[in-house]
Amino acid sequence: MIEAHELTKRYGHTTAVDAASFTVRPGTVTGFLGPNGAGKSTTMRMIVGLDRPSSGEVTVNGRPYAEHRRPLAEVGILLDARAVHTGRSARQHLRAMAATHGISARRVTEVVEMTGLQSVAGRRVGGYSLGMGQRLGMAAALLGDPRTLILDEPVNGLDPEGVKWVRTMVRRLAAEGRTVFISSHLMSEMAQTADHLLVIGRGRIIAAGAVQEIIDATTTATVLVRSPRAGELAELLTASGGTATPAADGRLEVRGLGSEQIGDAAARSGIPLHELTPVRASLEDAFLSLTHDEVVYRSEPAPEGASR
Amino acid sequence: MSTAVTAATATATEQQVAVSPVTFPRVLHSEWIKLWSLRSTYWSVVATVLAMVLIATVMALAAAVGAAGADDAPGGEAAIGLGYTFAQVVVAVLGALMITGEYSTGMIRSSLAAAPRRTPVLAAKAVLIAAVGFLLGVLGVALAYLVTLPVLGGQDAADLADPEVQRIFWGTGLYLAGVGLLGLGLGALIRHTAGAITAALGVLLLLSTVVQLLMLTSDWFTGVYPYLPSTAGERIASPEVTAAVDGGPVVLAPWTGFAVFMAYVAVTLIGAAVSLRRRDA
Repeated sequence: MIEAHELTKRYGHTTAVDAASFTVRPGTVTGFLGPNGAGKSTTMRMIVGLDRPSSGEVTVNGRPYAEHRRPLAEVGILLDARAVHTGRSARQHLRAMAATHGISARRVTEVVEMTGLQSVAGRRVGGYSLGMGQRLGMAAALLGDPRTLILDEPVNGLDPEGVKWVRTMVRRLAAEGRTVFISSHLMSEMAQTADHLLVIGRGRIIAAGAVQEIIDATTTATVLVRSPRAGELAELLTASGGTATPAADGRLEVRGLGSEQIGDAAARSGIPLHELTPVRASLEDAFLSLTHDEVVYRSEPAPEGASR
Repeated sequence: MSTAVTAATATATEQQVAVSPVTFPRVLHSEWIKLWSLRSTYWSVVATVLAMVLIATVMALAAAVGAAGADDAPGGEAAIGLGYTFAQVVVAVLGALMITGEYSTGMIRSSLAAAPRRTPVLAAKAVLIAAVGFLLGVLGVALAYLVTLPVLGGQDAADLADPEVQRIFWGTGLYLAGVGLLGLGLGALIRHTAGAITAALGVLLLLSTVVQLLMLTSDWFTGVYPYLPSTAGERIASPEVTAAVDGGPVVLAPWTGFAVFMAYVAVTLIGAAVSLRRRDA
């Protein structure tokens, strides 16, 4: 369980995170979605006390991270940038991390095996590929068998098998009742992995809720229609309660009517259709629409009077 | 596919992971593992000892050649009492690297996430670099003594029964411990390897030379000179100087000088601890 209240981080005049309040619940995978530079990593660093909030507060499992006696048993962290000394081997890195909590060498071996690093664990991290680095990050995050996992862009740099592995791992950890908070700028990845979403844009939480809810609330389904009698069809559809706007290639973009209704209406009037394509709203569209609003909101020019 | 499946079944049995609270001894153990899992540590140890032995050998050879002509040729004390000059460079760099290496690689975020109270991390590093510096100093002087023995012969070699020689033995260790702490403190404050090393070497090597030059312009600098970190600190590792040499400034007594030096070290480390707690990692 992660609870943030009015969490704010300012660097000079820039506000990286702007009064973010949210709750990440156990037993679910909560996706933290936002474009690069939106404040995802800063928020995650504040949760584990690496960055000090300018104002507001955040607790993990009931108290600030630094006040836990066994922080690694509370939160496992995979940070975006690599947080490992390149001159050390993976096993030595994990052993050093484990030593702070008296975690056994057996557990180190366990997480090495869980993350598939057996063959490279003795090699220096400096020579690792991005994917191996991410696996090491996952191994370190799992070390203390934590109740909460905070994973910043865990699939970044992974091959398809690795992506699938992270997804499976994350789903299972949530099924075990753990809190999983996972950031990404890849909407498609979130759609497949997360139950809940927290969308951030320019440091502000702009949407929170179940994945489908967010898609439904922020997008309207459209149908693309192509017809040699487009003008007539547009009038017909408007009369039936939809809106038809001309799109590229002489197509019509229809909102407010399903593809069945459009097809039936056209058939009744004898208008031939050359194309009838329902466009399903994706998380990507939801995301773009959300962040687009945010951008427009921010950069809207001052009202009249400001112009010379 | 098969790896993913085995990985999935492996974690099902992970329920009993014994995790203990973070304590200072555990952080110290972690730092111990970190220190000895980097190649740079081994290089530093070898370089320090080697440098001390080489300087002593050269000094002893020079003394052996000069002894025929002059009464006041540098003796065994001087031969073993100069080893710190190069060794301090290596130990200061090692101290700085203990923390700047973590900032440059991002490791510091892992370290501070595992020990979010932060100060124990710095304290553990301080304990280790002080211990390593001390042991290297004592070991280096001991080896230096052994190699000068055959060169100088029983008469001219340092006399182990002499309290001053004994002080040089332990004093070199103490001074290098302090130098390592200074490097660590500057590293924690500056957070960049090159910057921290430049600062440490500037303080240890350059500052006294600059002040010596400035002494020509004002007597004030003559008064300040003995209290500089390096001139004060190195007294504990050097043969005692009672009178001013060639019109130069009078330097401090060994233990007074060391106390002054450790005051600088303490201030640097306190500043480092405050900075570590306050600033974002």
